[in-house]
Amino acid sequence: MSPTPGAFLRVGLLLLGAVVIQLSGLGQLRVLGGHFDLTPLVVGGVAYYAGSVPGAATGFAAGFLLDLLAAQTMGASSLVLCAIGYGVGRFRELRDPSHGLLPIPVGAAAAVGWVLAFGAVSFMLDVGTASVSGLVFREMVVTVVLDTLIALPLFGLVRRVIRPSLAVDPLERNRRRQSPRESGPLGLRGMEV
Amino acid sequence: MFDRKTIRRRRAALVAFVAASMVLITMSFSSGGPLGAIQRGAQDVVSPIETGANRALKPVRDLFGWLGDTFDAKDDNEQLRDEVAGLRKELATRQTARRDADQLRGLVGLRRTDGFPGATNPVAARVIARSPTVWYSSIRVDKGRSDGIRPDQPVIAAGGLAGKVTQVSGGSAQVTLITDSSSAVSAQVVPNGANGIIKPEVGKPDDLLLDFVQKGRRVRRGGTVVTSGFASDEVKSIFPRGIPVGRVSRVDLDEVELYQRVHLKPFADLRRIDFVQVLTKRPGARAGVPSP
Repeated sequence: MSPTPGAFLRVGLLLLGAVVIQLSGLGQLRVLGGHFDLTPLVVGGVAYYAGSVPGAATGFAAGFLLDLLAAQTMGASSLVLCAIGYGVGRFRELRDPSHGLLPIPVGAAAAVGWVLAFGAVSFMLDVGTASVSGLVFREMVVTVVLDTLIALPLFGLVRRVIRPSLAVDPLERNRRRQSPRESGPLGLRGMEV
Repeated sequence: MFDRKTIRRRRAALVAFVAASMVLITMSFSSGGPLGAIQRGAQDVVSPIETGANRALKPVRDLFGWLGDTFDAKDDNEQLRDEVAGLRKELATRQTARRDADQLRGLVGLRRTDGFPGATNPVAARVIARSPTVWYSSIRVDKGRSDGIRPDQPVIAAGGLAGKVTQVSGGSAQVTLITDSSSAVSAQVVPNGANGIIKPEVGKPDDLLLDFVQKGRRVRRGGTVVTSGFASDEVKSIFPRGIPVGRVSRVDLDEVELYQRVHLKPFADLRRIDFVQVLTKRPGARAGVPSP
Protein backbone atom coordinates (compact mmCIF):
# COMPACT_ATOMS: atom_id res chain seq x y z
CA MET A 1 0.00 0.00 0.00
CA SER A 2 1.41 3.37 -0.94
CA PRO A 3 1.40 5.84 1.98
CA THR A 4 -0.26 8.62 0.02
CA PRO A 5 -2.65 11.23 1.44
CA GLY A 6 -5.44 9.51 -0.46
CA ALA A 7 -4.67 6.20 1.23
CA PHE A 8 -4.68 7.83 4.68
CA LEU A 9 -7.98 9.53 3.88
CA ARG A 10 -9.62 6.35 2.63
CA VAL A 11 -8.49 4.22 5.57
CA GLY A 12 -9.28 7.01 8.04
CA LEU A 13 -12.84 7.41 6.78
CA LEU A 14 -13.26 3.65 6.71
CA LEU A 15 -12.18 3.38 10.35
CA LEU A 16 -14.26 6.34 11.50
CA GLY A 17 -17.34 4.92 9.79
CA ALA A 18 -16.73 1.46 11.23
CA VAL A 19 -16.21 2.72 14.79
CA VAL A 20 -19.21 5.08 14.72
CA ILE A 21 -21.48 2.40 13.29
CA GLN A 22 -20.12 -0.06 15.83
CA LEU A 23 -20.80 2.24 18.77
CA SER A 24 -24.09 3.73 17.63
CA GLY A 25 -25.72 0.84 15.85
CA LEU A 26 -24.21 -2.61 15.75
CA GLY A 27 -23.03 -2.61 19.35
CA GLN A 28 -26.63 -2.22 20.50
CA LEU A 29 -27.94 -4.91 18.21
CA ARG A 30 -28.17 -8.06 20.29
CA VAL A 31 -28.31 -11.35 18.38
CA LEU A 32 -28.46 -14.54 20.46
CA GLY A 33 -26.74 -12.76 23.32
CA GLY A 34 -23.83 -11.46 21.22
CA HIS A 35 -23.24 -8.69 18.73
CA PHE A 36 -21.47 -7.95 15.48
CA ASP A 37 -18.01 -6.43 15.89
CA LEU A 38 -16.80 -4.59 12.81
CA THR A 39 -13.51 -3.30 14.16
CA PRO A 40 -11.34 -6.47 14.02
CA LEU A 41 -12.80 -7.32 10.61
CA VAL A 42 -12.00 -3.92 9.12
CA VAL A 43 -8.46 -4.07 10.54
CA GLY A 44 -8.10 -7.66 9.33
CA GLY A 45 -9.41 -6.63 5.89
CA VAL A 46 -6.93 -3.79 5.47
CA ALA A 47 -4.07 -6.01 6.68
CA TYR A 48 -5.16 -8.84 4.38
CA TYR A 49 -4.99 -6.67 1.28
CA ALA A 50 -2.26 -4.19 2.24
CA GLY A 51 0.22 -6.17 4.36
CA SER A 52 1.66 -6.22 7.85
CA VAL A 53 2.87 -2.63 8.41
CA PRO A 54 -0.30 -0.95 7.05
CA GLY A 55 -2.25 -3.59 9.00
CA ALA A 56 -0.50 -2.76 12.26
CA ALA A 57 -0.90 0.99 11.63
CA THR A 58 -4.60 0.56 10.85
CA GLY A 59 -5.05 -1.58 13.96
CA PHE A 60 -3.38 1.03 16.12
CA ALA A 61 -5.51 3.83 14.63
CA ALA A 62 -8.74 1.82 14.93
CA GLY A 63 -8.00 0.98 18.56
CA PHE A 64 -7.13 4.58 19.34
CA LEU A 65 -10.40 5.77 17.82
CA LEU A 66 -12.42 3.08 19.60
CA ASP A 67 -10.90 3.81 23.00
CA LEU A 68 -11.29 7.53 22.44
CA LEU A 69 -14.97 7.41 21.54
CA ALA A 70 -16.02 4.60 23.88
CA ALA A 71 -14.23 6.24 26.85
CA GLN A 72 -12.34 3.04 27.58
CA THR A 73 -8.78 2.70 28.83
CA MET A 74 -6.70 4.34 26.11
CA GLY A 75 -4.24 2.02 24.39
CA ALA A 76 -5.89 -1.28 25.30
CA SER A 77 -7.69 -1.74 21.98
CA SER A 78 -4.73 -0.27 20.04
CA LEU A 79 -2.40 -2.86 21.53
CA VAL A 80 -4.62 -5.77 20.56
CA LEU A 81 -5.71 -4.48 17.15
CA CYS A 82 -2.22 -3.55 15.97
CA ALA A 83 -1.11 -7.10 16.81
CA ILE A 84 -4.09 -8.50 14.88
CA GLY A 85 -3.34 -6.25 11.89
CA TYR A 86 0.31 -7.25 11.92
CA GLY A 87 -0.52 -10.95 12.25
CA VAL A 88 -3.05 -10.99 9.40
CA GLY A 89 -0.67 -8.94 7.22
CA ARG A 90 2.21 -11.34 7.87
CA PHE A 91 -0.03 -14.27 7.06
CA ARG A 92 -0.78 -12.70 3.70
CA GLU A 93 2.87 -11.87 3.04
CA LEU A 94 4.20 -15.31 3.96
CA ARG A 95 1.49 -17.55 2.53
CA ASP A 96 0.32 -15.36 -0.34
CA PRO A 97 -3.18 -16.89 -0.13
CA SER A 98 -5.27 -17.08 -3.25
CA HIS A 99 -8.61 -18.68 -2.43
CA GLY A 100 -11.60 -16.36 -2.77
CA LEU A 101 -13.25 -17.64 0.43
CA LEU A 102 -10.17 -17.10 2.57
CA PRO A 103 -11.57 -13.90 4.15
CA ILE A 104 -13.96 -16.14 6.11
CA PRO A 105 -11.33 -18.00 8.15
CA VAL A 106 -9.12 -14.91 8.28
CA GLY A 107 -12.05 -12.85 9.61
CA ALA A 108 -12.89 -15.58 12.11
CA ALA A 109 -9.28 -15.70 13.28
CA ALA A 110 -9.20 -11.91 13.65
CA ALA A 111 -12.43 -12.00 15.67
CA VAL A 112 -11.15 -14.82 17.90
CA GLY A 113 -7.90 -12.95 18.47
CA TRP A 114 -9.80 -9.78 19.27
CA VAL A 115 -12.28 -11.21 21.78
CA LEU A 116 -9.66 -13.31 23.56
CA ALA A 117 -6.82 -10.81 23.64
CA PHE A 118 -9.04 -7.82 24.44
CA GLY A 119 -10.76 -9.84 27.16
CA ALA A 120 -7.39 -10.73 28.67
CA VAL A 121 -6.11 -7.14 28.47
CA SER A 122 -9.32 -5.72 29.96
CA PHE A 123 -9.28 -8.30 32.69
CA MET A 124 -5.71 -7.43 33.61
CA LEU A 125 -6.18 -3.67 33.40
CA ASP A 126 -9.68 -2.90 34.60
CA VAL A 127 -11.78 -5.79 35.76
CA GLY A 128 -9.29 -7.08 38.31
CA THR A 129 -10.80 -9.01 41.17
CA ALA A 130 -14.43 -8.77 40.07
CA SER A 131 -16.11 -12.09 39.41
CA VAL A 132 -16.67 -13.02 35.77
CA SER A 133 -19.70 -14.95 34.59
CA GLY A 134 -19.54 -17.85 32.16
CA LEU A 135 -21.94 -15.90 29.94
CA VAL A 136 -18.94 -13.81 28.87
CA PHE A 137 -17.65 -16.82 26.96
CA ARG A 138 -21.01 -17.40 25.33
CA GLU A 139 -21.02 -13.78 24.17
CA MET A 140 -17.49 -14.21 22.82
CA VAL A 141 -18.46 -17.32 20.85
CA VAL A 142 -21.58 -15.69 19.41
CA THR A 143 -19.60 -12.58 18.44
CA VAL A 144 -17.02 -14.71 16.62
CA VAL A 145 -19.76 -16.61 14.77
CA LEU A 146 -21.53 -13.39 13.74
CA ASP A 147 -18.25 -11.82 12.60
CA THR A 148 -17.44 -14.92 10.58
CA LEU A 149 -20.80 -14.59 8.81
CA ILE A 150 -20.14 -11.02 7.70
CA ALA A 151 -16.41 -11.39 7.05
CA LEU A 152 -16.65 -12.09 3.31
CA PRO A 153 -18.80 -9.08 2.31
CA LEU A 154 -16.94 -6.82 4.71
CA PHE A 155 -13.54 -7.80 3.31
CA GLY A 156 -14.98 -7.12 -0.15
CA LEU A 157 -16.07 -3.67 0.97
CA VAL A 158 -12.66 -2.94 2.49
CA ARG A 159 -10.97 -4.04 -0.73
CA ARG A 160 -13.19 -1.74 -2.79
CA VAL A 161 -12.36 1.22 -0.56
CA ILE A 162 -8.59 0.76 -0.39
CA ARG A 163 -8.06 -0.71 -3.87
CA PRO A 164 -6.92 2.56 -5.52
CA SER A 165 -4.10 2.77 -2.96
CA LEU A 166 -2.94 -0.83 -3.20
CA ALA A 167 0.45 -1.37 -4.80
CA VAL A 168 -0.51 -4.98 -5.51
CA ASP A 169 -4.04 -6.32 -5.36
CA PRO A 170 -3.80 -10.01 -4.37
CA LEU A 171 -7.01 -10.91 -6.18
CA GLU A 172 -5.89 -9.29 -9.42
CA ARG A 173 -2.62 -11.17 -9.22
CA ASN A 174 -4.50 -14.43 -8.66
CA ARG A 175 -6.57 -13.75 -11.73
CA ARG A 176 -3.40 -13.40 -13.76
CA ARG A 177 -2.21 -16.74 -12.43
CA GLN A 178 -5.14 -18.67 -13.89
CA SER A 179 -4.28 -21.75 -15.93
CA PRO A 180 -3.38 -21.30 -19.62
CA ARG A 181 -6.20 -21.35 -22.14
CA GLU A 182 -7.05 -24.72 -23.57
CA SER A 183 -9.75 -23.58 -25.94
CA GLY A 184 -10.44 -20.69 -28.28
CA PRO A 185 -8.42 -19.61 -31.28
CA LEU A 186 -5.53 -21.96 -32.03
CA GLY A 187 -2.98 -19.20 -31.74
CA LEU A 188 -3.92 -18.43 -28.15
CA ARG A 189 -3.95 -21.99 -26.73
CA GLY A 190 -1.26 -22.72 -24.18
CA MET A 191 -0.77 -19.02 -23.48
CA GLU A 192 -1.62 -17.22 -20.25
CA VAL A 193 -4.17 -14.82 -21.67
CA MET B 1 11.52 -12.81 0.07
CA PHE B 2 12.33 -9.50 1.76
CA ASP B 3 15.64 -7.75 2.17
CA ARG B 4 17.07 -7.00 5.61
CA LYS B 5 16.07 -3.35 5.44
CA THR B 6 12.42 -4.22 4.84
CA ILE B 7 12.40 -6.74 7.66
CA ARG B 8 14.03 -4.26 10.03
CA ARG B 9 11.58 -1.55 9.06
CA ARG B 10 8.62 -3.89 9.53
CA ARG B 11 9.74 -5.01 12.98
CA ALA B 12 10.51 -1.45 13.99
CA ALA B 13 6.98 -0.41 12.98
CA LEU B 14 5.43 -3.17 15.09
CA VAL B 15 7.59 -2.31 18.09
CA ALA B 16 6.72 1.39 17.69
CA PHE B 17 2.98 0.71 17.63
CA VAL B 18 3.15 -1.62 20.63
CA ALA B 19 5.27 0.90 22.53
CA ALA B 20 2.82 3.69 21.66
CA SER B 21 -0.04 1.55 22.95
CA MET B 22 1.81 0.89 26.20
CA VAL B 23 2.47 4.62 26.60
CA LEU B 24 -1.25 5.32 26.07
CA ILE B 25 -2.21 2.69 28.67
CA THR B 26 0.26 4.15 31.15
CA MET B 27 -1.04 7.66 30.53
CA SER B 28 -4.62 6.44 30.99
CA PHE B 29 -3.85 5.29 34.50
CA SER B 30 -1.96 8.39 35.53
CA SER B 31 -4.43 10.93 36.89
CA GLY B 32 -4.58 14.46 35.52
CA GLY B 33 -3.20 13.59 32.11
CA PRO B 34 -4.38 15.18 28.87
CA LEU B 35 -6.06 12.01 27.62
CA GLY B 36 -9.30 12.66 29.48
CA ALA B 37 -9.64 16.08 27.88
CA ILE B 38 -8.82 14.64 24.47
CA GLN B 39 -11.44 11.92 24.96
CA ARG B 40 -14.06 14.47 25.95
CA GLY B 41 -13.16 16.71 23.02
CA ALA B 42 -13.34 13.84 20.55
CA GLN B 43 -16.68 12.74 21.97
CA ASP B 44 -17.99 16.27 21.60
CA VAL B 45 -16.96 16.32 17.96
CA VAL B 46 -18.30 12.89 17.11
CA SER B 47 -21.49 12.85 19.20
CA PRO B 48 -23.60 14.61 16.48
CA ILE B 49 -22.45 11.98 13.98
CA GLU B 50 -23.24 9.25 16.47
CA THR B 51 -26.67 10.72 17.12
CA GLY B 52 -27.36 10.72 13.38
CA ALA B 53 -26.03 7.19 12.94
CA ASN B 54 -28.02 6.03 15.96
CA ARG B 55 -31.25 7.36 14.49
CA ALA B 56 -30.46 6.12 11.00
CA LEU B 57 -29.72 2.61 12.28
CA LYS B 58 -32.70 2.47 14.62
CA PRO B 59 -34.94 0.77 12.00
CA VAL B 60 -32.32 -1.96 11.59
CA ARG B 61 -32.10 -2.42 15.34
CA ASP B 62 -35.85 -2.45 15.60
CA LEU B 63 -36.08 -5.05 12.85
CA PHE B 64 -33.67 -7.34 14.66
CA GLY B 65 -35.45 -6.67 17.92
CA TRP B 66 -38.78 -7.47 16.32
CA LEU B 67 -37.51 -10.71 14.85
CA GLY B 68 -36.01 -11.78 18.14
CA ASP B 69 -39.05 -10.90 20.17
CA THR B 70 -41.75 -12.26 17.90
CA PHE B 71 -41.74 -15.54 19.73
CA ASP B 72 -42.11 -13.78 23.04
CA ALA B 73 -45.24 -11.91 22.01
CA LYS B 74 -43.45 -8.61 22.20
CA ASP B 75 -46.40 -6.28 22.29
CA ASP B 76 -48.15 -7.95 25.19
CA ASN B 77 -44.87 -8.32 26.94
CA GLU B 78 -43.96 -4.65 26.69
CA GLN B 79 -47.39 -3.51 27.75
CA LEU B 80 -47.31 -5.77 30.76
CA ARG B 81 -43.73 -4.79 31.52
CA ASP B 82 -44.67 -1.11 31.61
CA GLU B 83 -47.60 -1.92 33.84
CA VAL B 84 -45.49 -4.06 36.14
CA ALA B 85 -42.77 -1.38 36.21
CA GLY B 86 -45.34 1.18 37.31
CA LEU B 87 -46.79 -1.09 39.97
CA ARG B 88 -43.34 -2.11 41.14
CA LYS B 89 -42.29 1.48 41.50
CA GLU B 90 -45.46 2.20 43.45
CA LEU B 91 -44.90 -0.85 45.62
CA ALA B 92 -41.29 0.11 46.34
CA THR B 93 -42.39 3.63 47.09
CA ARG B 94 -45.08 2.48 49.48
CA GLN B 95 -42.90 -0.13 51.18
CA THR B 96 -40.07 2.33 51.65
CA ALA B 97 -42.51 4.95 52.86
CA ARG B 98 -44.09 2.53 55.29
CA ARG B 99 -40.74 1.42 56.62
CA ASP B 100 -39.58 5.00 57.01
CA ALA B 101 -42.85 5.96 58.67
CA ASP B 102 -42.63 3.04 61.07
CA GLN B 103 -39.06 3.86 62.01
CA LEU B 104 -39.69 7.55 62.46
CA ARG B 105 -42.93 6.95 64.32
CA GLY B 106 -41.10 4.63 66.60
CA LEU B 107 -38.20 7.01 67.16
CA VAL B 108 -39.71 10.40 66.99
CA GLY B 109 -43.38 9.73 66.71
CA LEU B 110 -44.01 11.91 63.70
CA ARG B 111 -42.71 12.74 60.22
CA ARG B 112 -43.97 10.73 57.32
CA THR B 113 -41.77 10.20 54.28
CA ASP B 114 -42.21 9.25 50.66
CA GLY B 115 -40.11 6.41 49.44
CA PHE B 116 -38.92 7.50 46.10
CA PRO B 117 -36.74 10.58 46.18
CA GLY B 118 -38.56 13.74 45.22
CA ALA B 119 -37.31 17.06 43.83
CA THR B 120 -34.48 15.43 41.92
CA ASN B 121 -35.00 17.53 38.79
CA PRO B 122 -34.67 14.65 36.30
CA VAL B 123 -33.32 15.33 32.79
CA ALA B 124 -34.40 12.90 30.08
CA ALA B 125 -31.71 11.78 27.67
CA ARG B 126 -31.41 9.46 24.69
CA VAL B 127 -28.78 6.72 24.59
CA ILE B 128 -26.53 7.43 21.60
CA ALA B 129 -23.71 4.95 22.09
CA ARG B 130 -22.95 1.86 24.08
CA SER B 131 -19.69 0.21 25.06
CA PRO B 132 -18.99 -2.39 22.36
CA THR B 133 -17.51 -5.02 24.62
CA VAL B 134 -18.83 -7.12 27.43
CA TRP B 135 -16.01 -5.96 29.73
CA TYR B 136 -17.21 -2.40 30.11
CA SER B 137 -20.82 -1.63 30.86
CA SER B 138 -21.34 1.97 29.92
CA ILE B 139 -23.48 4.09 27.65
CA ARG B 140 -23.29 7.62 26.32
CA VAL B 141 -26.31 9.91 26.37
CA ASP B 142 -27.08 12.99 24.33
CA LYS B 143 -27.27 15.44 27.24
CA GLY B 144 -24.20 17.04 28.76
CA ARG B 145 -22.83 19.87 30.83
CA SER B 146 -25.01 22.44 29.08
CA ASP B 147 -28.11 20.54 30.26
CA GLY B 148 -27.02 20.54 33.88
CA ILE B 149 -25.45 17.08 33.87
CA ARG B 150 -22.50 16.67 36.21
CA PRO B 151 -20.30 13.69 37.18
CA ASP B 152 -21.64 11.36 39.89
CA GLN B 153 -25.28 12.15 39.25
CA PRO B 154 -27.56 9.08 39.47
CA VAL B 155 -29.19 7.78 36.29
CA ILE B 156 -32.46 5.85 36.16
CA ALA B 157 -34.08 3.89 33.35
CA ALA B 158 -37.56 2.44 32.97
CA GLY B 159 -37.98 0.25 36.02
CA GLY B 160 -35.21 1.40 38.28
CA LEU B 161 -31.65 2.48 38.84
CA ALA B 162 -29.35 2.34 35.78
CA GLY B 163 -26.03 3.83 36.91
CA LYS B 164 -24.20 7.08 37.42
CA VAL B 165 -22.63 9.77 35.27
CA THR B 166 -18.85 9.35 35.07
CA GLN B 167 -17.76 11.77 32.35
CA VAL B 168 -19.40 14.88 31.01
CA SER B 169 -18.64 16.92 27.92
CA GLY B 170 -20.56 19.85 26.46
CA GLY B 171 -23.29 17.91 24.70
CA SER B 172 -22.96 14.35 25.90
CA ALA B 173 -22.24 12.33 29.02
CA GLN B 174 -20.80 8.93 29.78
CA VAL B 175 -22.89 6.77 32.12
CA THR B 176 -21.35 3.79 33.90
CA LEU B 177 -24.07 1.23 34.46
CA ILE B 178 -24.58 -0.69 37.69
CA THR B 179 -23.51 -3.82 35.78
CA ASP B 180 -19.99 -2.42 35.26
CA SER B 181 -17.27 -4.14 37.24
CA SER B 182 -16.34 -0.85 38.91
CA SER B 183 -19.87 -0.23 40.20
CA ALA B 184 -20.91 -0.48 43.85
CA VAL B 185 -24.25 0.75 45.18
CA SER B 186 -25.33 0.80 48.80
CA ALA B 187 -28.80 -0.69 48.97
CA GLN B 188 -31.32 -2.25 51.29
CA VAL B 189 -34.04 -4.83 51.03
CA VAL B 190 -37.51 -3.55 51.82
CA PRO B 191 -39.45 -4.04 53.97
CA ASN B 192 -37.02 -5.80 56.35
CA GLY B 193 -34.22 -3.26 55.88
CA ALA B 194 -31.20 -5.54 55.41
CA ASN B 195 -28.36 -3.39 54.07
CA GLY B 196 -25.61 -4.35 51.67
CA ILE B 197 -23.55 -3.35 48.67
CA ILE B 198 -24.71 -4.20 45.17
CA LYS B 199 -21.89 -5.53 42.96
CA PRO B 200 -22.22 -6.92 39.45
CA GLU B 201 -20.92 -10.10 37.94
CA VAL B 202 -19.17 -9.25 34.68
CA GLY B 203 -21.04 -10.58 31.66
CA LYS B 204 -24.18 -11.42 33.64
CA PRO B 205 -26.32 -8.29 33.54
CA ASP B 206 -29.43 -10.07 34.80
CA ASP B 207 -27.87 -11.08 38.08
CA LEU B 208 -26.53 -8.56 40.56
CA LEU B 209 -25.14 -9.46 43.93
CA LEU B 210 -26.13 -7.73 47.15
CA ASP B 211 -23.14 -8.53 49.29
CA PHE B 212 -22.22 -7.88 52.93
CA VAL B 213 -25.77 -8.48 54.15
CA GLN B 214 -25.55 -9.59 57.77
CA LYS B 215 -26.99 -12.98 58.57
CA GLY B 216 -29.13 -11.58 61.36
CA ARG B 217 -31.56 -10.08 58.88
CA ARG B 218 -33.10 -12.91 56.95
CA VAL B 219 -33.73 -11.93 53.33
CA ARG B 220 -36.37 -13.77 51.39
CA ARG B 221 -36.84 -14.35 47.68
CA GLY B 222 -39.10 -11.78 46.04
CA GLY B 223 -38.07 -8.86 48.25
CA THR B 224 -37.56 -5.48 46.62
CA VAL B 225 -34.13 -3.86 46.76
CA VAL B 226 -33.86 -0.08 46.77
CA THR B 227 -30.95 2.31 47.16
CA SER B 228 -30.26 3.01 50.80
CA GLY B 229 -28.85 6.52 50.37
CA PHE B 230 -26.18 5.65 52.88
CA ALA B 231 -24.64 8.66 54.59
CA SER B 232 -22.19 9.19 57.39
CA ASP B 233 -20.03 12.10 58.48
CA GLU B 234 -17.32 11.40 55.91
CA VAL B 235 -19.03 9.39 53.22
CA LYS B 236 -22.29 9.93 51.44
CA SER B 237 -23.79 7.69 48.77
CA ILE B 238 -24.34 9.46 45.47
CA PHE B 239 -27.62 7.58 45.04
CA PRO B 240 -30.53 9.06 46.97
CA ARG B 241 -32.61 6.77 49.12
CA GLY B 242 -35.54 4.83 47.67
CA ILE B 243 -34.69 4.25 43.99
CA PRO B 244 -35.82 0.73 43.08
CA VAL B 245 -32.95 -1.46 41.88
CA GLY B 246 -34.18 -5.03 41.59
CA ARG B 247 -35.96 -8.01 43.06
CA VAL B 248 -34.33 -10.71 45.17
CA SER B 249 -34.03 -13.85 43.05
CA ARG B 250 -31.89 -16.07 45.25
CA VAL B 251 -30.23 -16.04 48.67
CA ASP B 252 -27.04 -17.99 49.32
CA LEU B 253 -26.68 -18.94 52.95
CA ASP B 254 -23.17 -20.26 53.52
CA GLU B 255 -22.46 -21.46 57.05
CA VAL B 256 -18.81 -20.39 56.78
CA GLU B 257 -19.40 -16.88 55.49
CA LEU B 258 -20.24 -14.00 57.80
CA TYR B 259 -22.65 -12.50 55.33
CA GLN B 260 -25.55 -13.60 53.17
CA ARG B 261 -25.09 -13.32 49.42
CA VAL B 262 -28.31 -12.02 47.95
CA HIS B 263 -28.80 -12.28 44.19
CA LEU B 264 -31.16 -9.85 42.54
CA LYS B 265 -32.53 -9.28 39.09
CA PRO B 266 -32.45 -5.59 38.18
CA PHE B 267 -35.74 -3.96 37.32
CA ALA B 268 -34.23 -1.94 34.48
CA ASP B 269 -33.37 -3.87 31.32
CA LEU B 270 -29.88 -2.41 31.00
CA ARG B 271 -29.10 -4.02 27.65
CA ARG B 272 -32.01 -2.43 25.89
CA ILE B 273 -32.34 1.07 27.20
CA ASP B 274 -33.04 3.82 24.71
CA PHE B 275 -33.90 6.57 27.17
CA VAL B 276 -32.73 7.40 30.66
CA GLN B 277 -33.26 10.14 33.21
CA VAL B 278 -30.41 11.83 34.99
CA LEU B 279 -31.29 13.04 38.49
CA THR B 280 -29.54 16.39 38.42
CA LYS B 281 -30.57 17.54 41.86
CA ARG B 282 -29.95 15.74 45.09
CA PRO B 283 -32.91 15.59 47.44
CA GLY B 284 -31.87 17.36 50.59
CA ALA B 285 -32.71 16.02 54.01
CA ARG B 286 -34.11 12.67 53.07
CA ALA B 287 -31.00 10.53 52.80
CA GLY B 288 -29.52 8.40 55.49
CA VAL B 289 -32.35 7.32 57.74
CA PRO B 290 -30.55 5.10 60.25
CA SER B 291 -31.54 1.48 60.43
CA PRO B 292 -32.80 0.26 63.76
